[in-house]
Amino acid sequence: MYGGDEVSAIVIDLGSHTCKAGYAGEDAPKAVFPSVVGAIDQMDIDGTGDADGNSGASADLQNNAKNNDSDNTKGKCKLYVGSQSLGYRRDHMEVLSPLKNGVVVDWNIVDNIWDHAFRECLLVDPKERPMLLAEQCSNTQEQRERAAELMFEKYNVPALFLAKNAVLTSFASGRATSLVVDSGGGSTTVVPVLDGYVLQKAVTTSPIGGEFLTDCLMKSLEGKGITIRPRYSFKKKEIRPGNLQTVDLDFPHTTESYKLYSQRVIATDIKECVCRTPDSPYDESAYSNIPMTPYELPDGQIIEVGSDRFKIPDILFNPSLVQTIPGMESFAEIAPSIRGLPKMIIESINKCDVDIRRELFSTILLTGGTASMQQLKERIEKDLLEESPQAARVKVFASGNVTERRFSVWIGGSILASLGSFQQMWFSKSEYEEQGASYIQRKCP
Amino acid sequence: MEAAVVDVGSKLLKAGFAIPDQTPAMIIPTQMKQLLDDGSVTDNSPSDNVTVDPVVRGFIRDWDAIEDLLHHVLYSGLGWEIGNEGQILFTDPLCTPKANKEQLVQLMFETFNISGFYASEQAVLSLYAVGRISGCTVDIGHGKIDIAPVIEGAVHHIASRRFELGGIDLTNFLAQELGKSNPQVNISMSDVEKIKEQYSCCAEDELAYQKIQYSCPVEKHTLPDGQVITIGRERYTVGEALFQPCLLGLEAHGIVDQLVHAISIVSSDNQRQLLENTVVCGGTSSMIGFEERFQKESSLSSSAVQPTLVKPPEYMPENLTMYSAWVGGAILAKVVFPQNQHITKGDYDETGPSIVHRKCF
Repeated sequence: MYGGDEVSAIVIDLGSHTCKAGYAGEDAPKAVFPSVVGAIDQMDIDGTGDADGNSGASADLQNNAKNNDSDNTKGKCKLYVGSQSLGYRRDHMEVLSPLKNGVVVDWNIVDNIWDHAFRECLLVDPKERPMLLAEQCSNTQEQRERAAELMFEKYNVPALFLAKNAVLTSFASGRATSLVVDSGGGSTTVVPVLDGYVLQKAVTTSPIGGEFLTDCLMKSLEGKGITIRPRYSFKKKEIRPGNLQTVDLDFPHTTESYKLYSQRVIATDIKECVCRTPDSPYDESAYSNIPMTPYELPDGQIIEVGSDRFKIPDILFNPSLVQTIPGMESFAEIAPSIRGLPKMIIESINKCDVDIRRELFSTILLTGGTASMQQLKERIEKDLLEESPQAARVKVFASGNVTERRFSVWIGGSILASLGSFQQMWFSKSEYEEQGASYIQRKCP
Repeated sequence: MEAAVVDVGSKLLKAGFAIPDQTPAMIIPTQMKQLLDDGSVTDNSPSDNVTVDPVVRGFIRDWDAIEDLLHHVLYSGLGWEIGNEGQILFTDPLCTPKANKEQLVQLMFETFNISGFYASEQAVLSLYAVGRISGCTVDIGHGKIDIAPVIEGAVHHIASRRFELGGIDLTNFLAQELGKSNPQVNISMSDVEKIKEQYSCCAEDELAYQKIQYSCPVEKHTLPDGQVITIGRERYTVGEALFQPCLLGLEAHGIVDQLVHAISIVSSDNQRQLLENTVVCGGTSSMIGFEERFQKESSLSSSAVQPTLVKPPEYMPENLTMYSAWVGGAILAKVVFPQNQHITKGDYDETGPSIVHRKCF
């Protein structure tokens, strides 16, 4: 049993798009950076193993046998973590994600991400601080054991706890029972939480998340002839005093994945600035005459976004809209089986016991990066009122503050780890050594 | 008695009483010499001193050394009397670990027995010194570079960036370059430091820098021990390294690009306000030609709003950029201590060092 005195815990939420880390007891995470890494496979470059000192983070690691993602055995692989390191273009740098469909496939990358968070962003020694990790509701026992092993063996943390995302969101809003609609980067999940426990059989997920919407926006803009130039591919030059010209730079060794990543960063910004949820289902004809909103791209080009402003967010409600976007045909096969957001909510509630359905309808929490879209809350309420049973009173809660919505899982973790009554629930290192990693199932339900 | 304000930097420690509009009373180097006092005569040379750097990359690392240094500063320098210590305000760099803050508070209350303590972040203080509460601070110091957007007096931690690159790296770089062009001469680090301060400058823009690489007027400089060295284009290379870190072998963008990237994370409503109130401070930024080059690079940057530097008010002393954190601290001290928002001895005795996280932010 870990006593947990004055030392405050560290809360880490590794999402599919960003990783949030910080001290417990604070109201926002200190370290927020993308949860992808740049990897340079040293075998591609003939022996030019650069031992450069860099201001970002780089870890020289040897892939060991535990790495179950390697399709070909790599020798040494240099990984770059963090938005500073990723922002710098390097030859042959691939952008890799540790998660596939929400499940961790590459523990090496996760290890690097955690290392970056501790040693470069927060400047803490993991040996001295208990760790609270936020995990997906669909996490398997094997994944949890792996996480526990990695934390205890490599980082020697004194205590650990794994909490489910939905439960933390529920705590952040001060409720023990609620229906959590988490619309994040990689996916959207609807999870009912009852008295602090997740009802597993009623969890519904959909692969439509923020990143998917960004891709749709990019394809839609490309279809209209607008190319987004990544930041590294141009430079401004002054040809005459006061007269600037954009010059294209060519880097032949840049990988496709890096180019896509850089374009996505810009497209995400466009999406966040310009997109709004429509009040009623999107109709091509109704929105064809609305005024266009201008947006200035980093290279100075000004683009006009018109009906896409409303079409893209409506994909959350009506996934079959994707088929109208040129370039997204690959998605067309799975589109029919994915339901829109209101239908997912209804389905999830219907899988629960009849007694709690009323309470779930009246406490629906909206959270996640994508949920910060304007007017989303009003639209969900409206759609649910139409589809829900008459007797149910539908109420959707979403924090007004954008930061709180994006980080509510982290904030819930921060609250939980600083509660006095929580201090006895930690899974301590001594328990791990006695009972083994499988004990985590009992300690962290 | 006025409160004391202390700004512990990697190279210089600035201390004085909280009188804004003036430069700090004491500006002393933080580097110290450790005398081995075992009394016995050893076989080694009698001056067996070791130089100690208690502050590394902005953070205090050697607590015993800092204790001695502060002892000298507070009692001999500022004239405090033992038994009648006053109130003190410290400045912290960005991303100071929690443990460091707690240790500093503990040191001050238990060893020095002060009556009041407050700590604030350097980024916010530098803005106060130029009369703003929102803006972006670019603090280019000896051990580190901090880029911090500040909105209404609160640092936006998620968007701020810290680099472990500073004046000390530029000095090492200059030493390397001088070594290449003057192979027979042996120059000590402290001499290189002085040469850097005297000669280094920034080229007007990248094209001008390229031209200088080919042809540059060469000057002769006499070292204290009599040797003569030639300095040519190395002077410009040092300044260029801030805008093109690849010269130092680092894979990073130049300082203006980093600033623009950092601001792009902040929500778009605030971006304009932040970029139009950019403050550049820190010793390394006092290089000749740095501000002009910064403005030039800003106009070329890929951003809708260009970073504009703020002019310090006329009533502030010259060279404000070197001590802006200290001056901001003096301004803040005049507000915090009279209004009793600081940590008192009673608070510390009740709660312990962790009170610093609650009262000072």
